[in-house]
Amino acid sequence: MSLWRRRLGSEDRKAELDAEIEAHVRMATADRVARGESAEEARAAAEREMGNLPLAKDVTRETWGWVWLERLGQDFRYTLRQMRRSPGFAATVIGTLALGIGAAAAMFTVVDHVLLRALPYKDAGRLVLLQEGGHTANYFFAPWVDIEQWKSQSGSFEDVAFSTGLRGRTYLEGKSAAVQVDGQAVSSNLFELLGAKPVLGRGFIVEAPNFVAGKNTGTIVLSNAIWRAAFGGDKGIVGRVVRVNDVPYTVVGVMPAGFRYPAGTSAVSGQVWTSLQLDEKDKGRGYDSDYYQVIARLRRGASVEAVTAEMATIQKRVAAQYADAEVREAHSIVRVVRYSDSLIDADVKKALLALLAAAGVLWLIASVNVTNLLLARSMARQREIAMRGALGASRGRVMQQMIVEGLVLSGAAAVLGIGLALGAIRLTRSVAPIHLNVDYSTHVDFTILGALCGLTLLSAVLSSVWPALIAVRAPIEPALKQGGLQTGSGRRHNRLRSGLVAIEVAMSLTLLVACGLLLRTIYTLRHVPLGYRTDHIVVANLSVPSYRYVDKSVTATLYQPLLERAQQLHGAQAAGLMSEVPLGQTFNIMLSLRMNGNDISAMLKPVSPDIQKIFGMKMLAGRFFSKEDTATSEGVAVVNPAFAAEYAPNKHDPNSLLGMKVWNLRKDTPAHIIGVLDDERQKSVAEVSQPEVEICLCQITPGSNIYQPATVAMDLVVRTGEPTAVMIPELRELLRQASPELANSTFSTMDQIVEDSFGSQRLAAHLLEIFGGAALLLCVAGLYGLLAYVVTQRTREMGVRIALGAQRGNLLWLVMRQAGGMLIVGVAAGIGLALASGRLVRGFLYGVEAHDGWTLAGAAVLLLVSGLVAAYLPARRAAGVDPMEALRSE
Amino acid sequence: MKLEREKYRNRIELLQGTLDMLILQTLQWGAQHGYGISQALRSRSSEVLQVETGSLYPALHRMERQKWIAAEWRQTEQNQRARFYRITAEGRRQLAHDRSKWETMVAAISSILEA
Repeated sequence: MSLWRRRLGSEDRKAELDAEIEAHVRMATADRVARGESAEEARAAAEREMGNLPLAKDVTRETWGWVWLERLGQDFRYTLRQMRRSPGFAATVIGTLALGIGAAAAMFTVVDHVLLRALPYKDAGRLVLLQEGGHTANYFFAPWVDIEQWKSQSGSFEDVAFSTGLRGRTYLEGKSAAVQVDGQAVSSNLFELLGAKPVLGRGFIVEAPNFVAGKNTGTIVLSNAIWRAAFGGDKGIVGRVVRVNDVPYTVVGVMPAGFRYPAGTSAVSGQVWTSLQLDEKDKGRGYDSDYYQVIARLRRGASVEAVTAEMATIQKRVAAQYADAEVREAHSIVRVVRYSDSLIDADVKKALLALLAAAGVLWLIASVNVTNLLLARSMARQREIAMRGALGASRGRVMQQMIVEGLVLSGAAAVLGIGLALGAIRLTRSVAPIHLNVDYSTHVDFTILGALCGLTLLSAVLSSVWPALIAVRAPIEPALKQGGLQTGSGRRHNRLRSGLVAIEVAMSLTLLVACGLLLRTIYTLRHVPLGYRTDHIVVANLSVPSYRYVDKSVTATLYQPLLERAQQLHGAQAAGLMSEVPLGQTFNIMLSLRMNGNDISAMLKPVSPDIQKIFGMKMLAGRFFSKEDTATSEGVAVVNPAFAAEYAPNKHDPNSLLGMKVWNLRKDTPAHIIGVLDDERQKSVAEVSQPEVEICLCQITPGSNIYQPATVAMDLVVRTGEPTAVMIPELRELLRQASPELANSTFSTMDQIVEDSFGSQRLAAHLLEIFGGAALLLCVAGLYGLLAYVVTQRTREMGVRIALGAQRGNLLWLVMRQAGGMLIVGVAAGIGLALASGRLVRGFLYGVEAHDGWTLAGAAVLLLVSGLVAAYLPARRAAGVDPMEALRSE
Repeated sequence: MKLEREKYRNRIELLQGTLDMLILQTLQWGAQHGYGISQALRSRSSEVLQVETGSLYPALHRMERQKWIAAEWRQTEQNQRARFYRITAEGRRQLAHDRSKWETMVAAISSILEA
């Protein structure tokens, strides 16, 4: 508003100044007339005496102090006029920059969310996890007796809190239906340690952990999200009784929105925290003791290194209390890990940083390309710039105008880039591996906006200041005299521009090579024999409401009937159950036992007999489970080749395992090995298999020692000829009928699960396809733009050459040679760059080396061919120059 | 012409202190318009000092901004509307300050020259 008033005022003042100067001229003229000169002569003489009046006014106005604003407006208007005059140029510049800015912004957003995400706790930098483990095994969790000793012996912690996930899947009964939540039993001081207070209610009363019922017994705190979802944000919730897994708890608090603990939790709809109650088992370090996640707040000034050293001394004494030598080893070390560091998977971090670098390279290519375009235009505008200089525009003034142009162009590009980035993020959401765990719901925050503005400014400066400097430095007279063409400085600038194109080529090649390596990795991964079929298989990862089956056999009441009904579904060829499908990465059970004097560590998978048929797994020896294996028949188990290789009496003969006793399913019911399966990929396609034991689901009854872990998670697998879209709703309905909570199960297909297991490689490959493709496009466009410009500039020369007898082929060759030179220099530099950056991608590769010759050659050839095609068009035009036309036109 | 602009700037810079002082001194004798000031400076310096429009008006407008002088539109004796400037209290203080500085400088320079 005030700006407007000033603008309006400025018009008045301008008129006033004009009037003042005019009065001056009149008075001077009047004096001369009085002295006897004629009126006309007097006026002319007075004006001559006063000199350059517009300039004088200009300088006067400068003293008013806000001319810069007016000039900015002028430049802005001029820029818009320029853009309207050559919309193609503006579109190219904006599009190119938008691509670069968009890619960089999208990657930065993801990196920001995943890596730089601020934890929702007070002073989170002082929060550390204390993880207990050994040199070989990592246990992470610690029993209460150890925690107690750390707390009393170390002086580095303000406080230490601990927690453990509630057993099984947790369901909170809301107003209408039970909702699956993440449930944690936490020590009463946890919230205070994190510096968080409930928005409703008092929360837990801090008290020392004890073995008898305390002030917090039977109380629960709800997360804000679940309070809204399950109770509609009812303010009277505090003091009411809610049921979690059928156990009643009194609500004592609702946490603020955004609060979560553990911070990694995101998949489920909300969290609940119950007060942790110690029991007899916590007094020892036994096999059945509870092990807790331990979080501590460091005292101000305590460093992680110092605390690690202190804990090493303390842990020596603590570990000595473990009787068994092996167990002692497994508890010999305490790792002190910053809480924020513990949340990020090192692999993901590496992948994201590498991709951010790739996006940065794309942005650089875009900037170089735009610089090249603007440079070309500033050459074409040399005359205009010289003319402005001659008319009295200072260098600073011309620079300012060109910088405003750059800013307008890159500002428009930034807006478009944000749009692109948002679109790209939405796209990555569908390809992002689940473990990336990106919270997209957060609104655009200021870090990103700031970074974006920085990028835009940098792009503008990079792409417009340099050409502006070059243009302004050029001497005025020759430009005016010669019309700005074919001057020595033009040649120099062409060399500069060729250099820029070569840089583009080199950077593009680096991206293309990285893209090629990842595509080969994906190709290799897809062709690794998995050991099972993946087609036509629908998988439902059941969210089993285990609390409903506490006093009955979940196998008999839920799983068996479910299996029978699923088999009868229309289109279902076979149905089976398996605790975790291969590559599912949902749930695994590790088994530690002694067999024939061997300590065995193996994955345990309860399965139904049809699984072998559905997945088409082959047997190396013996048989798979069948209908004859029942709860009452002899205990049976099937193992995999990795198991056989490790524990078979005769390592080369899997048959030697048959009939061996693995362990007791129940008291007095031993399980014997009846078969050895062919190898199958378990956790990821790239990893070799671990020893695995499969047992028949129907033989797991509430009396089994593994009943609880073996029944808590289950995948329902159906082989079907029907399309997935038809099968999934039918399955969901069937599950809903069995138990309403099961309708929330997640559905997928085996093909999809395999695809998902490629995780970061797939994400990286997809993004690099985009980056590499965009880079190739930009670099081809850059090459084409430069050559087209050069050919236009040299039209006359070409005409003269033809007139003097040059063959058309010679001219074609002349242009192609120039293109070839740029391409070869660029490719050579690019190969060097790609080899040097191979380190960055090595971690994602499988079955291909970072300096793979074929990929390098392929990318180089692709670039060379696309480059030469781009060069051919201007070259043909050069060859097609009509000498008469060319010579006449000048 | 580019050079000319630089020339103006240089001159303003060179004369900055002195031109301001001379203008303020001229206005001591009564309100005057731009043309009047330039004529007064010319005649009082026996035609030696010629203040150019390109220096005079920027100086006047700047001093107005600094509140050393105030301006208003009035009729001249020849019935010409012109912008008259008059010196303000602050302007008088500035003039006294400039003047003593100037005299010190002249004394210093002449003592060097005559030494």
